[in-house]
Amino acid sequence: MKRILIVEDDVAISAELKELLQNAGYQAEEMTDFAHAAETIAAANADLLLLDINLPGLNGELLLREIRKTSQIPVIMVTSRTSEADEVLSMSYGADDYITKPYHPTILLLRIANIFKRIDAVREGTTALHYRDVLVNPAKGTLVREAEELLLTKNEMIIFQLLLENQERIVSRDALMTDLWDNNEFVNDNALTVNISRLRAKLSEFGYPDAIETRKKQGYVLVR
Amino acid sequence: MRFTAYIRDRLFCIVTYVTFFLVFWLMMVAFRSPVSLMRAFALLLFFLAAANLSWDYLRKRKFYQEFLYNLASLDKKYLVLETIENPGFYEGQIWHEAMYEINKSMLEHLKGYEESIRDFKEYIEMWVHEVKLPIASLLLMCHNNRGALEKKYVEQIRRVDSYTDQVLYYVRSEHTENDYIIKEVSLADLVRKTALKNKDDLLENGIDFSVEHVNVCIITDAKWMEFILNQLVNNSMKYKKKEDSSVIRIFAKQDADKTVLHVWDNGVGIAAGDLPQVYKKAFTGENGRTHAKSTGMGLYIVKQLCNKLGHGIEISTIAGEYTDVQITFTRNDYYFRD
Repeated sequence: MKRILIVEDDVAISAELKELLQNAGYQAEEMTDFAHAAETIAAANADLLLLDINLPGLNGELLLREIRKTSQIPVIMVTSRTSEADEVLSMSYGADDYITKPYHPTILLLRIANIFKRIDAVREGTTALHYRDVLVNPAKGTLVREAEELLLTKNEMIIFQLLLENQERIVSRDALMTDLWDNNEFVNDNALTVNISRLRAKLSEFGYPDAIETRKKQGYVLVR
Repeated sequence: MRFTAYIRDRLFCIVTYVTFFLVFWLMMVAFRSPVSLMRAFALLLFFLAAANLSWDYLRKRKFYQEFLYNLASLDKKYLVLETIENPGFYEGQIWHEAMYEINKSMLEHLKGYEESIRDFKEYIEMWVHEVKLPIASLLLMCHNNRGALEKKYVEQIRRVDSYTDQVLYYVRSEHTENDYIIKEVSLADLVRKTALKNKDDLLENGIDFSVEHVNVCIITDAKWMEFILNQLVNNSMKYKKKEDSSVIRIFAKQDADKTVLHVWDNGVGIAAGDLPQVYKKAFTGENGRTHAKSTGMGLYIVKQLCNKLGHGIEISTIAGEYTDVQITFTRNDYYFRD
């Protein structure tokens, strides 16, 4: 399980962030001691850092520079400041992403998932995705099983990929919608329903009739 | 300073001279003085009076003409005192000192206001950043307690957030020294961020949101432009028609020297009589009377920011049919050269 360290001085936000991340299937920890921030972060040995810029007694950007001297841990800067200069500074100090408060929780989760996806791809040296005995090829928009090939539209591929990344877990319609919109596909509710039923029909024709289950009022699950 | 006006001003003095002269003349006639003495005396007296008056006139004219000329040619009139020399005559000196005192007290007064406005703006900026924290925690709480809370709560929080943003950009639009960075920005990126931000509102209201031809780079400040786009999309949502099938279309057209971004909607439009005034501060117009939420600040701030960023903004609209806001970005080869 991925471990995420939350460096945030606002107690309410920190607690809610923790709950949000835990609900999304991450192991989240809050940092409470800001006096020795750099050492605590190094000792925690987390997989990802959510770092606030305004911290008591120190500045998140400088802290980031301190961390970068010893560690390559992925860092997402989270801040209520909205100046372009802060963003540029953070990125130049080696932040992987930059989000301004108040962020959309689904978008935050999406960004975190994206960073992990990128890292895992690099670590394994491959971007190959598999579902059962099918090779998923997002760049071509195809599912390949030996000689057979199933062609998916862009929307269907986006949906399928998100379901695949969260296999065996419920993916809400909101998460699917956010992911589609994040990929410049500004579809509405009806279109999402149509896309999912088309994807179902295609998968069923390809030999996986019950791949996607509907959980009433919660979302969809891709079963193994 | 006109000579006739000066003479009129000195009428009493001249009348005194003439009376004095006449009395002496009559006295000399009464004492049977020689005619030549009388003539010499008259001439002397006349020259004395003339010399006296014209000397006084000339030195005053020199001062006042310089003063009036400087006053007319100055842009900031209150600085005129700095441009003139100390007048060489008594009344002028009194006047000069008085003006100096008045000026000084006025400047101190202004300085006080300037400082209090700056303090207030700084406070507002800080406050906005502070208030973003509870908004962020509220959003997270809503998300973590989904099911218990309906989506409409999130919608209201988003509205609070968007109005808070408006305050921040209003404060920033008035003092330019606050940081903005002009660089190459992907228009598609800006549109995507704006769309994501308003996703729930758009879906909830059943608005058809379409985006075309925005794969363009523009020269702007990303944060400010995102705010502008957000305002325009919010306006389109706010002023949609009551019935369904609302559409918001965002597309860009490229020319050789400029890119024009269109934010088009089939909403209520703007009455022709209101159109020239929509950028005025706090102007709400026809739509303001029918839509309770109007503050008249949105387009005003958008216009201010566009001016600061050097983008053109134009609106073409037909009331009851559509509104098309066009933002023009000029292309600058200097930035694209590499």
